[in-house]
Amino acid sequence: MKILTKIQAFTIFIFLFSLSAVAQNSKYKCMLQMTNYKGLEAYVVVSLIDAKGKYEKTLYVMGTDKQWYNGFKDWYKNQSKKNEKLSAVTGASVAAGDRSITTFTIDESKMSKGYKLRFETAVEDQKYFAADVEIPLTTEAITQKTDGKGYIRYVKLNKVQ
Amino acid sequence: MVSSVWRFAHLALAVLSFSFLIVASVTGVILAIDTVNEKIPAYKNANFDELTLSQTLPKLREVYPEIIELSIDHNQFVTIEGFDDEGNDFKFIADPVSGEKKADPIVKSEFIQWITSLHRSFFLHETGRFIVGIVSFLLMLIAVSGIALVVKQQQGFRKFFAKINREFFEQYFHIAAGRLLLLPILIISITGTFLFLVRFDVIQKEEFVPTEIQNKEAKEIPLKDFPVFKEIYLKDVKKIGFPFADDPEEFFKIKLKDKELLVNQITGQIVSETKYPVTTVLETLSLDLHTGRTNSIWAILLAIASLNILFFIYSGFVITFKRKAVKILNKFKPDEAEYIILVGSEKGSTLHFADKILKQLIANGKTAYLTNLNDYNVFESAKQLIIFTSTYGSGDAPVNANQFEKLLEKFPQTNKVNFSVVGFGSIKYQDFCAFAYKVHQLLADKSWANPLFDVYTVNDKSANDFISWVKDWSKTNEIPLTLTPAVYKQKTPKLKSFKVLAKTNVSNDNQTFQITLKPNSRTAFQSGDLLAIYPDKNQTERFYSIAKIKNNIHLVVKLHENGLSSQFLHDLSVNGKLQAAVISNKSFHFPKKASKIIMIANGTGIAPFLGLIKENKSKIPTHLYAGFRNQNDTTSAYKTFLEEEIKQKKLTGFNFVFSREDQSEYVMNSIERDAELFAKTLENKGIIMICGSLNMQKDVEQVLDRICLEINNKPLNFYKENNQIKTDCY
Repeated sequence: MKILTKIQAFTIFIFLFSLSAVAQNSKYKCMLQMTNYKGLEAYVVVSLIDAKGKYEKTLYVMGTDKQWYNGFKDWYKNQSKKNEKLSAVTGASVAAGDRSITTFTIDESKMSKGYKLRFETAVEDQKYFAADVEIPLTTEAITQKTDGKGYIRYVKLNKVQ
Repeated sequence: MVSSVWRFAHLALAVLSFSFLIVASVTGVILAIDTVNEKIPAYKNANFDELTLSQTLPKLREVYPEIIELSIDHNQFVTIEGFDDEGNDFKFIADPVSGEKKADPIVKSEFIQWITSLHRSFFLHETGRFIVGIVSFLLMLIAVSGIALVVKQQQGFRKFFAKINREFFEQYFHIAAGRLLLLPILIISITGTFLFLVRFDVIQKEEFVPTEIQNKEAKEIPLKDFPVFKEIYLKDVKKIGFPFADDPEEFFKIKLKDKELLVNQITGQIVSETKYPVTTVLETLSLDLHTGRTNSIWAILLAIASLNILFFIYSGFVITFKRKAVKILNKFKPDEAEYIILVGSEKGSTLHFADKILKQLIANGKTAYLTNLNDYNVFESAKQLIIFTSTYGSGDAPVNANQFEKLLEKFPQTNKVNFSVVGFGSIKYQDFCAFAYKVHQLLADKSWANPLFDVYTVNDKSANDFISWVKDWSKTNEIPLTLTPAVYKQKTPKLKSFKVLAKTNVSNDNQTFQITLKPNSRTAFQSGDLLAIYPDKNQTERFYSIAKIKNNIHLVVKLHENGLSSQFLHDLSVNGKLQAAVISNKSFHFPKKASKIIMIANGTGIAPFLGLIKENKSKIPTHLYAGFRNQNDTTSAYKTFLEEEIKQKKLTGFNFVFSREDQSEYVMNSIERDAELFAKTLENKGIIMICGSLNMQKDVEQVLDRICLEINNKPLNFYKENNQIKTDCY
């Protein structure tokens, strides 16, 4: 019995170790609060931006109707080239004053290397905010409440322990 | 004039918007069905209406410590959202008491999303939304002008739901369904328009202004004891935002139907209250009413109303085209015609009567011209004006007659002209034929115009009413016109298929042939009814009197060299098929209660009598007088036939005369010879039936009139009014 328990514990240890070695992925809870702007539901796109300021990956899209995606001018231009599969990371659009929650997985190796999270927002017939919220990928910055410049009041991320 | 403005508006608006309305109503029906469908799953808690927040929130927070949001949709399904123990976000429909997951959130299918987008904006984004908005505004105007038209036609609001004068299916149901579905359609269009106005900021939405509430110091109390949670029912809630963490700056945010509350998560006190402005409340109400999302029954009603918009478009255009489809074919020019027939009609039904008269006048060798009252002008050769007109609403002119009054002042006739006015309408309406009386008065005031009679009126297109005018006009002007009511009947009869069973041949001395037809489907008919034949496609029908012999139709036809329909019938081969319609002619059926019957015929007019005699089951004494040109095979066949009937006691006796044999005689001569019999028969309430040519009828009636005056001291008209004289002549 004892031996068996030891083997089990060892196996679990090895398994967990190898997992963290292959990809140091961390999960973050993201909470987003909208302002009481006047207008219809906002579409929001969350992207990972590399150190050169280029789009690397789309983390989340709030808003399901593709006909409005061209409102995100910068992102849409990039998207038509890259053609990412978005269906897995698409959720509902957010109304004024509402909240939205989601979770992202962020590769820990990208931390403190000039990467940032960008929240773009667009509302039908109204101004498009190419960088409503930008959060640098550093351990300090990421857990702070970040105020938005446009339709977003603030964004708050929490690492899942 | 007012009425035609409404009608013009109603039609113009419909023409302007119908293609968009078709799209909007088809998609509307689909969306309404989807709305009803959406409510079918039982995700709603059974006690939903009685649940307060304190009965649900504490438990939900216990099961899901990181619950972020609770929302209640129009189906009263409760959706919760948050993070689970592993930090993954969740969102599903849950039971509000146990927190148990019921289903994944409802996501509209691609198809429904596509339909919704089509319904809202025709895929044209902002432009499309604008068009849809305008169209729903037009729909509102169509509904309003529709109300005005119904009020006008029904003569007042009080009679709004009174019986409608039915003319044809589309007309009847356009009004009938219009009255019933007026309210849903008005609501659809008003709410649609309101949403459009809010959407385009024409109606400005006011800012949300929160009112801060100053609270005294309070101590911490558990969630389940929050007084505000005990007061608020779940059914009034739209959304609840849970505080993110135990931060005192984070609040419960409760969105109700008319306001928004912020509640301190530690003390349970209301921190601020935001009352929604009226516009927002109205917008929600509009959306609820426009989509039917809160009530299945209303949604079904909306679907029916949308479906009916399609029907209104169809029936509305049918009505319009029927009105425009009235074509007048004139043989003579207006300036060469002695007889001018002027028609005022909303729907073309009056024109039908006018057309029958026009054709008969021309057949009698007269120059006649038929046109709309609005085309009134100076008619250089005119001697007679015949005016047939209906009335619109309460005494107004029909659309094609609304200029007549003006034109009449402008164009006096150069000759002395006799005129006669016939009014068409329904006695259901108070101002029955008011416009006809007005036209009569306007004409009577002119020095050049001489009224032949007072106004005649025809109720509900009654052919019998019309005949009383035909009779008098025909007599006064000495132009024979047919008095068979069936000829003037309105309905286009339903064609049926007949099989040719037998047909006799014509020869040099005998141009008459007989044809026996068997209906291919169940068809009711009696001797004396008419068979309408359509030899060419332009719908000019010809009538033949039917003799019913051994359940088959028996016709006697004289072949005319240029007679389209007699040639047509002659060309039929035995076992061939014929499309024709049976038209009931009650006025010439066998009289069941008569002391004695005398039948008078010339030529092919004998046909119905052959069948009628067979129907004499009660063996009423019956005499037949018939006149022909020559003695031939056909007349001998008649004789054989009639002698058999005498044996059967169905016929008392018969008398044949021939005009082109050595001893030339006409049927009038036989009548004069047997004057006593005729006078007695009429005096003893017997019946005289006449069938044949109109000229023969005229001559026979003259002779009979003389006999009646001499022997009975009464004019023939006395017996006519007593319905003792039945005629079927043309």
